[in-house]
Amino acid sequence: MLLTPILLIPLAAALLCSLVPWRRLMEWINILAFAATLALGIRLFPQVLPPHSVVTEWNEFFYADALSAWMVLLISAVSLATSLYAGRYFRRDLAAGAVTTGRVKEFFVLTPIFATGMFLVVLANNLGVMWFALEATALSSVLLVALYNRQTSLEAAWKYVILGSLGLALALFGTVMTYAAAAGGSGSERLPSFNWSHLMTVADKFDPRLIKLAFIFVLVGYGTKAGLAPMHTWLPDAHSEAPSPTSAMLSGVSLKIAIYALLRFHILTTQCLGTGYSRTLLLGFGLFSMFLAAPFILVQSNLKRMLAYSSLEHVGLICAAVGLNTPVTIFGALLHMGYHALTKPVLFFAAGNIHQTFHTLKFRVIGPGVIKVLPVTVLFMGLAAVAAMGLPPFGLFYSELTVLSGGFAAGRTFISFLILAALLAAFCGILKQLTRILLGARKIERANDAKAWDGVPAMGLLVGGLLMFSVWCPASLLQLIHQAAGIIGGKS
Amino acid sequence: MNNTLSIEVGSQIIMLLAALMLVIQLLLVVQQMLLTNVRLFALQSLMLSAIATVVAYYYNATHIYIVAVLTLVGKVIFLPWLLNRIVRRINIVQEIEPLFSAPTSMLICGGLTLLSYLVARPFTTLHKLGNNTLAIAIALLLTGFFLMINRRKAITQVLALLTIENGVMLAAVALTTYGMPLVVELGIFFDVMVAVMVLGILVYRIRETFASMDTGKLDQLKG
Repeated sequence: MLLTPILLIPLAAALLCSLVPWRRLMEWINILAFAATLALGIRLFPQVLPPHSVVTEWNEFFYADALSAWMVLLISAVSLATSLYAGRYFRRDLAAGAVTTGRVKEFFVLTPIFATGMFLVVLANNLGVMWFALEATALSSVLLVALYNRQTSLEAAWKYVILGSLGLALALFGTVMTYAAAAGGSGSERLPSFNWSHLMTVADKFDPRLIKLAFIFVLVGYGTKAGLAPMHTWLPDAHSEAPSPTSAMLSGVSLKIAIYALLRFHILTTQCLGTGYSRTLLLGFGLFSMFLAAPFILVQSNLKRMLAYSSLEHVGLICAAVGLNTPVTIFGALLHMGYHALTKPVLFFAAGNIHQTFHTLKFRVIGPGVIKVLPVTVLFMGLAAVAAMGLPPFGLFYSELTVLSGGFAAGRTFISFLILAALLAAFCGILKQLTRILLGARKIERANDAKAWDGVPAMGLLVGGLLMFSVWCPASLLQLIHQAAGIIGGKS
Repeated sequence: MNNTLSIEVGSQIIMLLAALMLVIQLLLVVQQMLLTNVRLFALQSLMLSAIATVVAYYYNATHIYIVAVLTLVGKVIFLPWLLNRIVRRINIVQEIEPLFSAPTSMLICGGLTLLSYLVARPFTTLHKLGNNTLAIAIALLLTGFFLMINRRKAITQVLALLTIENGVMLAAVALTTYGMPLVVELGIFFDVMVAVMVLGILVYRIRETFASMDTGKLDQLKG
């Protein structure tokens, strides 16, 4: 039994946190729960390592293959870092009177629920269960986005919940159509099960026209949740208005969970229709997201909004890489998911420190020379930013290069050039914006309450992990990603 | 009793009820009073519940009865009661103030319905029960989107979302002869309930901080 505890531990943590009155205890419950899920995730991963091996529980209700196991690792790592960071962060917010104790409790209850939802998405075998787990993540994170109860955060939460629910309604429609396509193709009146693993075995008998329509609905639906352009408009608002720990969760994993759901349907559609159809759609949406994100990064005046657009660009790259549909690019996409999950939360944690020190996220007011005020934060932020821009020695450089070389090797020169151009544009954007505020001499000296060592455990954990996995990635982990890429498939 | 004949009758009843759902949707589009809107939504959900009952009866699918009962309790009784309470508690003005005038909205929705029949046309031979239900489900979806754009009050956007959900559930019940597996239906049901509660919480908070429910005022975040 591995999968059930992975789901039950965070759920139990949420229940416990809603019962205990002490904030310190809630912090520790969160940290311990996510440490436990990370440990379970690490134990899960050798079990799915041999080719075609899966772990199932409760009569195949829960199902984990290499792809799910990879996502479990990402969710637990980011959640653990978030819970490490959240304690200090909210203590400062409470001291400053920015939140009430009730709201902080809400955070420590909702965050494990949010994580449980994400675990359920990646471990559920039934596509309908996967849908409602995604809806559960959306609903729990909406309340987290609205935590500060400012006008702007309510606006962001409203846009997020309305767009997210609309998207998920479309995804449900697509899911229903997939079910109808499968039931129509199965010949019998009743579909024996709506499990993904079962559908894969009968996918070639689906009604092809219905599955085409279904995939479009699912793509637009889950694409909204993944923040793909042009359905991304909620993303910068929600990421910038949420408390920084929540921004880290949203950007670090939640977007990728929606991509994961999309990928499951992509695999199914490809199995039914052959490679041409869903792959092209993914490639188109991915490229469009990348090209839309780059100019917005360049003109942003708000730090967390800029980071949100950078996430949009990375999500676009992941989709485009899967859309290129060669084993190398898909491998690169999954690797990119992992490295991005280790990088982006660090940037949001650092942005949280900057926010609490300068009480604003506007580049103009933060001004140059943050390094003089928050040297440690800037060090971590600089490292993570260099990684997010895709510079060596960090893993994102390696994964981006993998995607590009895979694209060129497959003879898709033009597409690869487009990806390269978008990456370069985003590179310039982040470089310009961050050097402007981080480096240089401080022009205005104002009273601020800098706390130099805030968030160091969380940021250290992630940056340390990033550095380690960039320089030395264990062979078994690479094999896991290979297995996962093999599930998505792709023609060489 | 001839079995094929009775299924024919069932299919006719479902068509009728689904068409009624669409009619109610169009009434929602032109109706300006908020509380009437909530009642119309309750009526539409009642049709959905009836459709589920008919499907369950003609196909002897016991778990669809559960879906029908849940729809009845949740969407016909509980949610309208909850929305009513929110509307009364925050004392909002009853007029809805849509963006487009009623005749324009009617024309647009007529166009959307035509479009959905065009989209669903290739699939009309596909399902035995209710040939046109897919078209109606898509029409509910599209007009629901239109409702969402046309209305600026937070509560009416929630209602629009719920009618879209009704459209999807219509597809789920009628498109697949036996409906979705029970665990999925239950999950969807509870998600909708929780979603409305979350939306309700947000409506309260928006009302408190903005002293208004006009989502047009939510315009500070740009770019």
